Amino acid sequence: MFDTSKIGQSFPPFTIEVERCKIHELALAIGDDNPIYHSREAAQAAGYSDVPLFPTAPTLFTFWGNTKMGRHLIDIGVNVMGALHGEEEYEYLAPIYPGDTLTGVTTLVDGKTRKGQTGSMDILTLEVRYTNQHGQAVLNAREVVIIRS
Amino acid sequence: MTTNAQTPTKIYFEDVQVGDQVPKLVKSAVTHLQLVRYAGASGDFNPLHTDPKVGEMLGTGGIIAHGMLIMGFVGQMLSDYVGPAALRNFGVRFKGMTHLDDVITCTGTITEKSEVDGEARISGKVQAADQNGDVKVTGTFVAALPRRG
Repeated sequence: MFDTSKIGQSFPPFTIEVERCKIHELALAIGDDNPIYHSREAAQAAGYSDVPLFPTAPTLFTFWGNTKMGRHLIDIGVNVMGALHGEEEYEYLAPIYPGDTLTGVTTLVDGKTRKGQTGSMDILTLEVRYTNQHGQAVLNAREVVIIRS
Repeated sequence: MTTNAQTPTKIYFEDVQVGDQVPKLVKSAVTHLQLVRYAGASGDFNPLHTDPKVGEMLGTGGIIAHGMLIMGFVGQMLSDYVGPAALRNFGVRFKGMTHLDDVITCTGTITEKSEVDGEARISGKVQAADQNGDVKVTGTFVAALPRRG
């Protein structure tokens, strides 16, 4: 069971630079061969100023940028090894392009423990609010993780 | 790896009606290689998605796909439909595990048309299911569309 007094707590910010090649790799792995994700020229021909963000590209920001998050969760008593992904949601507030440097602040916005027949589970909601290098809010990402203990 | 057209025709607010279907996307069968590629691209190296021994140990019936890969498939459908820059919100709930050789079909339906912050917006519900109709993710999206004229 995690430390419920930590609900509402924010963790230290992290920064991540948006990279064209990472968007290309992600789209390639998903199997989306739309050229806008693979070539700046193709993206510009389609009316974008550069390679646009693939809809689920914010997952890159957490896995490659928020690398200390696992440690933060362990510190508040979350068994990250048993974590399952329950929900994922993005609120796209402003365009994000390669070359932007984003700062993300993660907050444990909600959490509860549910007792079942096979043990208890913690259900945590984490929200990351991203701003760009101009201080503009560009993206809110919210995920629900379920931890069986 | 896709069966959809690469360049979507531009879609206008006036062309969309509540109840319309989002053009569906049928993906190629999920392969082990795809999961390895997705792990490398996304930075999610949980061995549950790449190492068959871990999959057996956890009783998941072998390795299972990243939930975010399936959300990525739905993201591809939405990207094909409205383009990535039109998305304002995209969220999913993970409902079931995807195994190797599963063939995922993404579908969606328009549920609402509205005017928010001076933008003409459409909302819809989406899902991804396998060849047996087992649902893997359900979700919603909001997109801003241009008006004609």
